[in-house]
Amino acid sequence: MEKGDRVWEVFIQKKSGLAFKHVGSIHAYDKKMAVQNARDLYTRRGEGREIWVVPAEAIVSTPLDQADAFYDPSEDKVYRHPTFYEIPKEVKNI
Amino acid sequence: MSITIKNELAQFLIRLADSEIILGQRLAEMCSKGPFLEEDIALSNLALDLFGRGEELLKIIADLEDNAYTPDDYTFRRNEREYFSYKIVEQPNNDFAWVIARQYFHDVYVREIFRQLLNHSDQQIAGLSEKVLKEIDYSYLHARDWMVRLGIGTEESNSRLQKAVDSLWKYSEELFAFDQIDTNVLDDSDQIKTVWDNEIDQVFSEANLEKPEEFKRHILDFRQGFHSEYLGMILADMQYLPRAYPDAQW
Amino acid sequence: MDKYEKAFNDLIEKDLKIEPRDWMPEKYRKNLIRQVSQHAHSEVIGMQPEGNWLLRAPSLRAKQVLLAKIQDEAGHGLYLYSVAETLGISRQELIQQLHDGKAKYSSIFNYPTLTWADMGAVGWLVDGAAIVNQVSLQRTSYGPYSRGMVRICKEESFHQRQGYEIMIQMTNGTEDQKAMAQDALNRFWEPSLMMFGPHDADSAHSSQSMQWKIKRESNDSLRQKFIDKTVPQIEFLGLEVPDVNCKWNEATGHYDHSPFNWDEFWNVVNGNGPCNAERLAHHRKAHTDNAWVREAAYQYAQKTEISAVAQ
Repeated sequence: MEKGDRVWEVFIQKKSGLAFKHVGSIHAYDKKMAVQNARDLYTRRGEGREIWVVPAEAIVSTPLDQADAFYDPSEDKVYRHPTFYEIPKEVKNI
Repeated sequence: MSITIKNELAQFLIRLADSEIILGQRLAEMCSKGPFLEEDIALSNLALDLFGRGEELLKIIADLEDNAYTPDDYTFRRNEREYFSYKIVEQPNNDFAWVIARQYFHDVYVREIFRQLLNHSDQQIAGLSEKVLKEIDYSYLHARDWMVRLGIGTEESNSRLQKAVDSLWKYSEELFAFDQIDTNVLDDSDQIKTVWDNEIDQVFSEANLEKPEEFKRHILDFRQGFHSEYLGMILADMQYLPRAYPDAQW
Repeated sequence: MDKYEKAFNDLIEKDLKIEPRDWMPEKYRKNLIRQVSQHAHSEVIGMQPEGNWLLRAPSLRAKQVLLAKIQDEAGHGLYLYSVAETLGISRQELIQQLHDGKAKYSSIFNYPTLTWADMGAVGWLVDGAAIVNQVSLQRTSYGPYSRGMVRICKEESFHQRQGYEIMIQMTNGTEDQKAMAQDALNRFWEPSLMMFGPHDADSAHSSQSMQWKIKRESNDSLRQKFIDKTVPQIEFLGLEVPDVNCKWNEATGHYDHSPFNWDEFWNVVNGNGPCNAERLAHHRKAHTDNAWVREAAYQYAQKTEISAVAQ
């Protein structure tokens, strides 16, 4: 597998005064590319005034209310993306 | 059909219009061929901007020519020697380095032209320039970022970019051989060369590129409708349907 | 049944959404990855048959509209790859699966686009069929997929109108254009109907997908919806439906149709369609030829960017 690009989460503020809203994610290799890719993908129809991009692994999330029902509290990543989890090279089939 | 442009301002604008459309066509070729999907979108965004810009320019030209022809007539029914695109935009997508270098050179040059057109007395031209500059700023940043990324990234990317630059360089010469049609419209054509030189020096230094040697060549000028051999093939594709079905409306 | 599974089933039953961090059966996760990634791959592969006529679009407007449509499709592919990634698979793995032939994509894109009229037929019929499917998927149980579908549906209706506009123009045009339009319809009619998949009885994944509300309506029901919507559109164009048995049935309130050619369907699905090899080869080549670009981007980021990850 190639050493990859990174996943960034995208937040858009439609108009001044409104809150930033999470719209999805993009891939990019660096910050400049991340902002450009986010703009190209999520504001093609003029949907935004300002864009934030955040490397997905930088996001720390709180446990859900139903943490005991669903959730391993040590997991604070937003989702299960494999690159968030560093597996040592010696481990196979993962 | 032999289509000639008579109005002098239109003769200036057609050079721009043709270059935008031909470059748009080259970028459209990259559809589904980019290094990753996000770049496919970026390149087609640029292509859309270019076609839109070309069409707006052709509308202004049609106006100046008393609506003898439509923008589609100009695009699909002029032959190779009636086109006035820069040779540099006709060059092929040999690899992604060519795409980026060609885009960068184009953007630096054309941005300066539109900056000067911002002050034009014709409201349509000034208005279009204002809109275009926003688009070109974005395109320029994208191209410039990639020049540096490829220049610094790896030995291979640097070498490919250098090759592209070396090959495209000779086509930059004619861009600055301004004639009276140009100088009647542009406030300061010398300024365009100055900006170009500064930009190139800066980016090449950042991107670890060598500036090719400059020497005077005699290359038949695009202003007289002289092109690279690529233009004929580009037009053959682009104009095929209207030429094959001349009576049809599309 | 443990409390995790009970909570999951509860959400499904109440028509609530499953989100990325919720517990889900492994089979649910795998089923979704398969469906979402196939959907994503379809958008991306679909750029090829349409891109085929981009350079030869016969007017500036047609060219720009087609380019915008193809660009939307790339965007839809990206939304869907993002959704798949929330389920624990990387974009690289997804691409690898496509290249290895392990992942499928909609078999309609294994048909060639032979004339400009195909741009009309594809936009009208193929996007039309996709819309019927996608409107239904807006209610899918997985949150990110559902939200992706809502976004995609908003953008999709322009695609179908673009295709139909081309058909109208051609059927109102010269004899050559009319013939070209009928020919395109003839070639794309049945393959478009096949986009809804096999009869549900013959579909391996259908019933489990329905149980988990990943899929909200059956293949046959969606297909019939599409036929009923589209036949009047064919008649409006003054074209012939490419099926002599396609007639309105007063008793059922639907159009009847001939039995489908499932041999062709399975052949194409299994890799023997007109363009399967070409589509994959094209995708692989673009990917491989550009490996140096991705490597350069990666190395540049390593050399220059201070890590943005909060320590």
